[in-house]
Amino acid sequence: MSASSTLLGTGRAPLGLLVPVLAVLTAALAGIALIAMLGVPFRDALESFVDGTIGSPYAISVSLNRSVVYALIGLGFILANRAGLTNVGGEGQIAVGGIAATALALQHGVGALPFGLAFLVPLLGATLAGTAWGALAGVLKARIGTNEVISTLLLSFIAVWLVYWCVQSTALLRQPMTSAATLPESLPVPEATQIPLLTGDAAAPVTAGLLAAIVLAVVVALVLTRSRFGFQLHAVGLNPTAATRAGFSYATTVVTALAIAGAFGGLAGGLMLLGEQYSLRAGFSSGYGYDGLVVGLLSRGSVLGVIAASLLFGFLRSAGISMEMGASIPTALIQVMQGLIILTVAGAAYWLDRRDAGH
Amino acid sequence: MNAPVTDAKSSGALLELDGLTRRFGAFTALSAVDLTIRAGEVHCLLGENGAGKSTLCNLVFGMHPPSEGEMRVEGKPYRPVGPRDALAAGIAMVHQHFSLVDEMSVVDNLMLGRVRGILDRRGWARRLDGLAERYGLALAPFARVGDLSIGERQRVEIVKCLMLEPRLLILDEPTAVLLPDEIRSLLGVCRRVAEEGAAVLLVTHKLAEIREAADRATVLRQGQVAATSEAPAREIERLVRAMIRRDLDTLDSAMAATLGVAEAGPAEKPDKPKPAEIPAGPDVLQIDNISQRDADGATRLNGVTLTLRAGEIVGLAGVEGNGQSELGLILAGLRAPDSGRLFLGEQDLTGRKPTAFTQAGIGIVPEDRHRVGAIVDMSVAENIFLNRTGDFTRFGLLRRQAMYDAAAEMMQRFDVRATGPDARFGRLSGGNQQKAVLARELTAPGLRFLLAAQPTRGLDVGAVEAVYALIREAASRGVAVLLISSELDEVLTVAHRIAVIYRGRIVGERPSDPRHRNAIGAMMAGQAAPEEPAISEKAA
Repeated sequence: MSASSTLLGTGRAPLGLLVPVLAVLTAALAGIALIAMLGVPFRDALESFVDGTIGSPYAISVSLNRSVVYALIGLGFILANRAGLTNVGGEGQIAVGGIAATALALQHGVGALPFGLAFLVPLLGATLAGTAWGALAGVLKARIGTNEVISTLLLSFIAVWLVYWCVQSTALLRQPMTSAATLPESLPVPEATQIPLLTGDAAAPVTAGLLAAIVLAVVVALVLTRSRFGFQLHAVGLNPTAATRAGFSYATTVVTALAIAGAFGGLAGGLMLLGEQYSLRAGFSSGYGYDGLVVGLLSRGSVLGVIAASLLFGFLRSAGISMEMGASIPTALIQVMQGLIILTVAGAAYWLDRRDAGH
Repeated sequence: MNAPVTDAKSSGALLELDGLTRRFGAFTALSAVDLTIRAGEVHCLLGENGAGKSTLCNLVFGMHPPSEGEMRVEGKPYRPVGPRDALAAGIAMVHQHFSLVDEMSVVDNLMLGRVRGILDRRGWARRLDGLAERYGLALAPFARVGDLSIGERQRVEIVKCLMLEPRLLILDEPTAVLLPDEIRSLLGVCRRVAEEGAAVLLVTHKLAEIREAADRATVLRQGQVAATSEAPAREIERLVRAMIRRDLDTLDSAMAATLGVAEAGPAEKPDKPKPAEIPAGPDVLQIDNISQRDADGATRLNGVTLTLRAGEIVGLAGVEGNGQSELGLILAGLRAPDSGRLFLGEQDLTGRKPTAFTQAGIGIVPEDRHRVGAIVDMSVAENIFLNRTGDFTRFGLLRRQAMYDAAAEMMQRFDVRATGPDARFGRLSGGNQQKAVLARELTAPGLRFLLAAQPTRGLDVGAVEAVYALIREAASRGVAVLLISSELDEVLTVAHRIAVIYRGRIVGERPSDPRHRNAIGAMMAGQAAPEEPAISEKAA
């Protein structure tokens, strides 16, 4: 991994920018080729692609909301990764965030809180739940050396099944069973607890989560490049022994870093629930955590990279849904393109690192 | 002096290197080297660290291809693409790092990869005995390699090579890990191998060894042949000049010691700071009965007790692997001892965190510079202030510019040469890395004790001198220094007092005086210190 601490995260800005752009172009070409092979007229495909992404204020808003989730997971990922940690638990952190947000929003009285506390309190709860979920992996690592890749992944499985449990049991969050057809999901959260829309217009439902993501991106960039805490993360990530000798506590650093990554995931889960879905359903996190991990990986440690990759993934996901509905192109196509982007970028990164190590 | 090329047919040239060049990226490690090695000679390859000695060996042994130039074995072109080709051509090499399986016996190690089907251990043991007799390499065939001393393990490596009946035996810095006695016997082996008609290429930077064993010598400096000698024993001075571009007379005794010329070279100069006068400051560091076991339950430290006074440099001599590393980690606060206590002044530091150690005034120059001493992927400035980032922090933000400015000053003061404070630490030479670490540790506020563990390992001569000067300067302002070293000459030169560690125990203590050299050497080897005649008689 690149060691320099510029905003771009790599000391070779021209190549660092060129590689992802080329990767996306390659993937786009491959996607077009696949569409041609499916026999779908190119114009239909393009039309539904545009419809789903930038064709309307609604499409743009929905895509942006998706990007916000990706960006938060990606930001948490690169922060922990600065300390040499790989948080693959975004999915679970989203899930516990969603549970906490739902539970608090449905709590009697929360919907009546003034000054926006009605949605801030559930959001805070979601963030804290994610924090705990991340910190747990941190403690396991610091105390008994459990690899965080394993522990965060397994904690994700637990969290995803916790959601199932919550929506299956009326003792937990399932809505009251009025008939045999009552769906296994929670009651919708009160309107006061829903995240306000920036436009105030349901035709362009981009939420205040976008603002939160922008502010947090700036904060993370500052922390990583300018703060002493960022230095501590970097030092521990590069050489735990030397960092310990210099007075940075390994355990504190690891737990804090994973807790912060978890907090970002929990917040993302809260935003998904209170800003878009409004009721807890099984599998509501639907892979955002894993895609967000990929966003973090693709960014190669830079905040700008996270922003670019999360926008790309957010809009691509919208495009996939729209192309499936509008032009009968399987969404799997978008996943193939994402996979190609990952392969190209990872391959180029590997090649660049080897070239750098070569002299 | 740059004309080592001789006619292959007339002189029995075994290996000829012709314009051999090797580049790594933009760096030229070896530049147009011409060299001839003849059958039946011990050829010494001299040079400071980084002069290209190891690169040359690796090219000959087929580990890297040359960038330019060619090699010939007995006049025929030789282009190895791997060690296998080298072995097929009769070229064997003993590397600095051994490749032995500790859990297996000597014979099993010899057979490793060379036998199929039924194992004929007795037959191999007989072959081993034959070689032992021929070359004077005594080895117990069925001893477990893990139980052998470093010198014996090296013997196993040499026997592994000799079993192939090589025409050229390459030994890459074989004496760096050996005790004085072992060095002598190794040089004897080299002589016998040469007498049998094979050639030996002996890589070293110790001049005393050349005097004893070399038929011819080649000096490398910055990847080029700086001198060759047909009679190295008589031309030591010229070789030193070529090696370090300086006269032997102007070397201070510390440097002479690292080169190994102190004992064999011109008489020691009287201006040497007499180490005998031990400063009688107050006690600073007290290591009290410290014991430590490793993960396997083996005792690594066994009741180590040592007290250091202010202004005193205590040398801890010992062959590597006798508990020095474990003691170093404990003194750095990175491990708590299993039992025993550690005091700095009145303060009990046992089991405290590294931060507490630093605050109490303990500075550490660790033996593993890259793992413990520094973060190679960070800048020089960040490494110099690694433990003092708080000084440059305001509202949680790190003021990098201020830190880099301060670092530039430190780099000037400690003569750390780099392209700038933002240079990557890993790009610095070993000497500059060590000076940067020393800059950090020596400028810690309230420094009272400094641990310098193997501080000059891998450094070139100029840097060694600088490191000694910094250590002495620290002692002269009242810092107690513990110098852990496996180089007996180094401790004899720098320390006031010498303690010897063997198998995790302090087995003896002597004033630092060359006249105790044999006694200390014996203790390092685990023998009881011989009865010493009164020093005054011995000095005669």
